[in-house]
Amino acid sequence: MSDTPGTDAVFADATQVAGTGGVMIELDGVDKFFDDFQALKDINLKVGKQEVVVVIGPSGSGKSTMIRCINRLEKHDNGRIVVDGTELSDDIRNIQAIRRETGMVFQSFNLFPHLSVLENITIAPRQVRNMPRAEAEAQAQELLTRVKIPEQANKYPGQLSGGQQQRVAIARALAMKPKVMLFDEPTSALDPEMIGEVLDTMQSLAEEGMTMICVTHEMGFARNVADRVLFMADGEVVEVGTAEHFFTDPQEERTKLFLSQIL
Amino acid sequence: MTATTRPTPTASRAAWARKHLFRTPRDSVITVITAAVLFVIVWRTIRFVFFTGRWEIVRVNLGLYLYGRYPTDDLWRLVVTLVVISATAGLIAGIIAKRTRIAAQAAGTPLPGTSIVGRIVELAFRLWPVVVLVALLLLLSETITPTLVTLATVAAAIAGRLVGALLPKRATFLAFVLPGVLPVVLLPFLTAAQGWDDWGGFMLTIFLAAVSMLACFPLGLVLALARRSTLPAVRVIGVGVIEFFRGVPLVVLVLMSSVALGFFLPQSILPGKVVRVIVAFTIFTAAYVAEIVRGGLQSVPRGQTEAAQALGMSPFRVTGWIVLPQALRNVIPALVGQFISLFKDTTLVFVIGFLDVLSVADAVTKQSQFDLANFAEATAFASLLFWVGSYTLSRESQRLEQRLGVGTR
Repeated sequence: MSDTPGTDAVFADATQVAGTGGVMIELDGVDKFFDDFQALKDINLKVGKQEVVVVIGPSGSGKSTMIRCINRLEKHDNGRIVVDGTELSDDIRNIQAIRRETGMVFQSFNLFPHLSVLENITIAPRQVRNMPRAEAEAQAQELLTRVKIPEQANKYPGQLSGGQQQRVAIARALAMKPKVMLFDEPTSALDPEMIGEVLDTMQSLAEEGMTMICVTHEMGFARNVADRVLFMADGEVVEVGTAEHFFTDPQEERTKLFLSQIL
Repeated sequence: MTATTRPTPTASRAAWARKHLFRTPRDSVITVITAAVLFVIVWRTIRFVFFTGRWEIVRVNLGLYLYGRYPTDDLWRLVVTLVVISATAGLIAGIIAKRTRIAAQAAGTPLPGTSIVGRIVELAFRLWPVVVLVALLLLLSETITPTLVTLATVAAAIAGRLVGALLPKRATFLAFVLPGVLPVVLLPFLTAAQGWDDWGGFMLTIFLAAVSMLACFPLGLVLALARRSTLPAVRVIGVGVIEFFRGVPLVVLVLMSSVALGFFLPQSILPGKVVRVIVAFTIFTAAYVAEIVRGGLQSVPRGQTEAAQALGMSPFRVTGWIVLPQALRNVIPALVGQFISLFKDTTLVFVIGFLDVLSVADAVTKQSQFDLANFAEATAFASLLFWVGSYTLSRESQRLEQRLGVGTR
């Protein structure tokens, strides 16, 4: 995490990066259409190295679409997306190069049910990075220890609780040693008592200096971890600020309405 | 059972009958009529099998049923083939068993050890229809030779299994290579006696079914992937092949393979009749397999592909490592249904003059010492052969399903 801005810090726009480490992700005038529906409208965003950005907003506001454009699970229609100095193009090699550096955690975990926990974590390093089996397995064990479930290595995803599955999913993404982690509502499909363990894992990841973009409604997490919070509605970035700013002094009407509904 | 549990079994059985079979007068009538019909069917079956049936026709023609008109002087070739296949199957089973054992050990859940005798008994129970059929065949045969052949085959399987379990880990490739090498070696050996266009009996049925099954699976897979391809040309070819061959009756394809192909291809490059009919079965079944596999591919949630893509895996690896394994596991029942169907459809080769099991059953009733009154016995035996094959396939597929489904959902 970078040096946290003061509680009263308000960012002029979403391209003003917190901290000083340089830019990791840049979205420049990004539009995205689903047929006639415009899901993203001229999104401009910069995320600094080691910065944690939390994205909030009502459903259908384009939060997920935005982070899914960053690793090309959705194709943006206009504008530029640059990840760690590489601009996303239509070339599959270029897309895969960016995906290798970008870990993603999904709302519904999406673990591979036919593979054991260990295999879930080792398959990408072995297949994509050609890592030897022994090395990949040692790394996987390390990651499992880091997410605090080293004893589950030989089980299958179906045998784990939701919280454990999501932690395996985080370990699986980390196994590729990504420079950025994208979280797409990682706790929305979890039972309340399991949300904490996943947020703890994400918080320690942030403390270790990972660059993160998290779509989440967990305002407590935003307050503890986020350098910046982005409020999106109708495909636009409506307001940017610290978590404190959103709690104490939201400016826009739409922001106030949304916060009154979730807090 | 402790004293506090339910009443004695007899009392409960009577109570059960009263409750479920004779609760109302109407129930009682239905029960009595059903019982009477069942009794007549069972009694008539028993009477036919053990008393009135004249099984002479099967006993005399046992060889014809099993291997058609394969030259008697060359029967040793069949024996050698049987023993080699059996030994190979044992070897592969041994290699797989060893790997499973090592994997289970690594996972910290070592498998319990079982004695060799225990394993053989277990396998015999698992494959009981085959065991019963072989016992029946041995009873019907008049010489000691078939018994010796059976013993040699079983011994070869056991020996193969034991050797397979002793092989080092780097011999694992044999499990993949041998099934491919075996046909290349054995086919010339078998056809040396007589061209395979004159093969017949159950041997022909199994050969046609096995080769078509092995060949139609990869072809069906390719067609299914082609149909989902993003390249328009590939997709059109996939759809075209699938829809054309699904729309044509199999018997037409079989006839075409035998007769019509001769109009298009010069005799010099025309493959033998067996090859042509195998191609017909293969393409026909592949079209159905393709649709089954496509259904399986669609059953894998989109999130699986996305998760694999997000990890940077190439499209090829996403399909091969993530989507296909799940898709295929989901469609095992439908796939095996198709294979069983194929196994029985091989009887259609009678229309182009092959002497398969069903044709044998028909032909033997025309022998001078028998007549059409023996038709029931002749076809009943042919049916038994098919039932044993189909039922074993079905049971083994369920077992495979269970093994692959362990701990996944």
